[in-house]
Amino acid sequence: MESVVAGVVIAVIKILVILGIVLGVGAYLTWVERKVAAHIQRRPGPMVVGWHGLLQPIADGLKLITKEDLFPRYGNKFLYNLAIVLALVPATLVFAVVPFGPEFELFGYRIKPILTDVNVALLLVFGLGSLAVYAIAIAGWASNSKYPLIGSMRKAGIIISYEVAITFAVMGPLILAGTLSTYEIVQRQIEQNLWYIWVQPIAFVVFLFSLLAETGRVPFDIQEAEAELVTGFTVEYGGMKFGLFPLVEWYVEVLSLSAIAVVLFFGGWSPINIPFMGFVDPLFFLGPFSPYVWFLLKVTVLFLFILWLHWTLPRYRIDQITEIAWKVMLPLALINIVLTAIIAPVVWR
Amino acid sequence: MPWAKAEDFVELKERFPELEIVESGNSTSLHIKKESLIELLKELKNRGFKLFIDHSVVDLKDILEKEKDFRNAVKENLIAFPEDRLSRFQAFYILYNVDEKKRVMVKTRTDGTLPTVEKLWFAGKWAERECYDMFGIEYEGHENLVRAFMWDTYPYFPLRKDFPLEGFPEQDLPSLNEVLWGDRLEGTMNYERKHAIVPTLEDLEITEKKRLKKKAQIVLNWGPLHPGTHGTMWFLFDLEGERIVQTDVILGQLHRGVEKLAENEMYNQFLVYTDRMDYLSALCSNQAWVVAIERILGIEEDVPEKAKYIRTMMSELQRINSHLLWLGTYALDLGALTVFLYAFKEREKIMDILEGITGARLTISYPRVGGVRMDLPEGALEVIRAFIKRFPKELSDWERILTRNRIWLRRNKDVGVITPEDAYFYGVTGPVVRGSGIPYDMRKLEPYDAYAEVDFDIPVGDVGDCYDRYLVRIEEMRQSVRIVEQCLSKLEKIPRSAPFFAEVPKEKKLKLTIDGIGLKVPTGEIYSSGENPRGELGFYVFSMGGVKPYRVKVRPPSYYNLSIYPHLMKDRVIADAVTILASIDPVVGETDR
Repeated sequence: MESVVAGVVIAVIKILVILGIVLGVGAYLTWVERKVAAHIQRRPGPMVVGWHGLLQPIADGLKLITKEDLFPRYGNKFLYNLAIVLALVPATLVFAVVPFGPEFELFGYRIKPILTDVNVALLLVFGLGSLAVYAIAIAGWASNSKYPLIGSMRKAGIIISYEVAITFAVMGPLILAGTLSTYEIVQRQIEQNLWYIWVQPIAFVVFLFSLLAETGRVPFDIQEAEAELVTGFTVEYGGMKFGLFPLVEWYVEVLSLSAIAVVLFFGGWSPINIPFMGFVDPLFFLGPFSPYVWFLLKVTVLFLFILWLHWTLPRYRIDQITEIAWKVMLPLALINIVLTAIIAPVVWR
Repeated sequence: MPWAKAEDFVELKERFPELEIVESGNSTSLHIKKESLIELLKELKNRGFKLFIDHSVVDLKDILEKEKDFRNAVKENLIAFPEDRLSRFQAFYILYNVDEKKRVMVKTRTDGTLPTVEKLWFAGKWAERECYDMFGIEYEGHENLVRAFMWDTYPYFPLRKDFPLEGFPEQDLPSLNEVLWGDRLEGTMNYERKHAIVPTLEDLEITEKKRLKKKAQIVLNWGPLHPGTHGTMWFLFDLEGERIVQTDVILGQLHRGVEKLAENEMYNQFLVYTDRMDYLSALCSNQAWVVAIERILGIEEDVPEKAKYIRTMMSELQRINSHLLWLGTYALDLGALTVFLYAFKEREKIMDILEGITGARLTISYPRVGGVRMDLPEGALEVIRAFIKRFPKELSDWERILTRNRIWLRRNKDVGVITPEDAYFYGVTGPVVRGSGIPYDMRKLEPYDAYAEVDFDIPVGDVGDCYDRYLVRIEEMRQSVRIVEQCLSKLEKIPRSAPFFAEVPKEKKLKLTIDGIGLKVPTGEIYSSGENPRGELGFYVFSMGGVKPYRVKVRPPSYYNLSIYPHLMKDRVIADAVTILASIDPVVGETDR
């Protein structure tokens, strides 16, 4: 009985911590993005609200929340609101299977810093990722407007194409690790003394492309394409309802997929890896916090890389994007599976 | 002068016995009866006059009514077939022979109907719609004779001489709902009505219904207020999925009747309206207008060298400015958000320089007939020199982001290809025609101000796709820097005390002052054009003497460049709509005037 209560309490605490981190960080990533974009564009960015605009996300949130809730006259109100829920919930749920660090013991309880260490974690990730299609398709449909409809159709086309590529891309690490559990995948990389990026560069590139496509980042941001579709499927949304879509797409999803990429290719919370030799930890002085810092550091670097792309490149056309998915990325991923099957015994030893 | 000579057309006399060839100092025109007009135009097209420049109509009503004016006009050979006192309108067509570099004007008289030239030049189709709109000329055989700028039910023809400048203010124009379906919905604040009473807005419904009868899945309204159109332009795309089956352009959201205003303003007063036509390149438009008036006055040679160099330099700065705006928005349209801010940062510097010299940033009105409004201020040359020293470096920085970028190439290569034949057929000019490999540039063909003395090249593309147009504009900026540099070195040598405004020897005959009050222009006509960043900006000025022109026709480069847009959009996707439109780079202030 006691262990059940403890389990529930621990789970609730984990949920609160993760939700707090994800939504709080998600909001503050808007500030990070604005600052990074500003410095790429040789301007200071937000400077007025708080020190270097640090309170800007709060001001933005307040502004969005206090805005009038507009609704298109001939839209479908139920679906219109459902789309927001469908966008936010699956994207956040992905964090249930993201391992932040190694198992530790606190007050006699063994705690894994992962909400649920299910043995089909990756399947769950991509299942939830595919749910994003529904959110966007419904948002476009329920708005009863042409621009959202076109935008959502574009996005649906992209996600369906890249869903296939990304699934085949992660096959490589899966073969090497021999498990679907995210926690176990990291453990295997530590045991095998190998970040999978060293033997899976192709898979990583395909994964990165798919990440950009699924989250609607440049060069694949055609579902909003300001110049053609104004802002695509969010045209008819206002206030916080509008604010949630970019928050989910650009920050929560990027964050979750970056975390998954770190888990799959960069050994999760492990420090710098020398292939087949071992790990070097320049942050050893942080003691038990070092794994968390490493995890955070890797996700941050990946996130900044995506921002850098976003503010540099032009965007592709829809036909070119799907063409790349089916004609380049999918064959690459398939070749990668074959190559992995050949080198896998070396890694397993 | 790039006008054809009379002897070029002597053998045409045999085919067209009633043809009159008139060669005045300013232009060469062929007078022909309406019946053989199409024959003649076809013959001219075969003889190499392939590029359509302009077509419009002059309403001769006031001249025909006043005997003295009429005799004056006949003496100057302004009117074709003066024995015809009944035909009220005189139509003119201006054509250009690209190979032999000469221009010709064809004139004919009509009482209200003309044969259409749409089979010969598509651009003519648009020009004819404009004439129908403004003068009520019926074009026989025209495929789509609807108003170009005013709305469908508008009962008047604004550019006719009997239409007052202030319009008919006491008259409340009925909304289309009331005209077509007899609806009587009282009051503007009546929210029951589905549409506003502004008639042009309801145009949408009619047009969309017409469209929906066709087989397209969706009719997408693109504009009038849309970030991709760069202004209040309105496109209707018939979509099959994302593929565009047909494109419609609805213009007139920014129509202000500039040509009507021109007839009622003095020559220097009209200068400020040229600012507001192509508001992104005000100085170039100013210069084109001022040069046109100087040419008709015959004082082009009297303008001091200093003023000429200042004008040239300022125009080239303005060209860089305009191209920078184009580059920024073009990149923005294709998703490269950062180049926009880079370009605008440099643009801001030019704006500051222009403001420091002229006092204005957007609508500048700095040149005057006979020179410039004021001398360059102290330090202007140093500032400009500092700017152009740094600018090429910045430009190559941006090029490194874009020019060889794979995504950029895929978005631009083979998109919106304009062949040379298409370019002539649609009458496009400026960087658009140069992208197709035709070196058509008024700065070389009919040099004005100091362009004859400075050294520069005309960049041309080979394929004529969006990428070529992009490269042409980028290279044009470099050439502009070259021109500015040469002007600077020249201006540094000219002493500060040198005059910047013309001294006219025959002061009694010609009153030339900086404010331009009382400037009288002799009876005559001229077509003179300057090279705007968007193409050939021409002014056809028809003067009956006095302080105001009788008729001014502006040849708007954006209007004709835009006419090729529906053709280029056929079977492309929506994403290409922004690419192609931005590579054509129209400015609505100029298309609508």
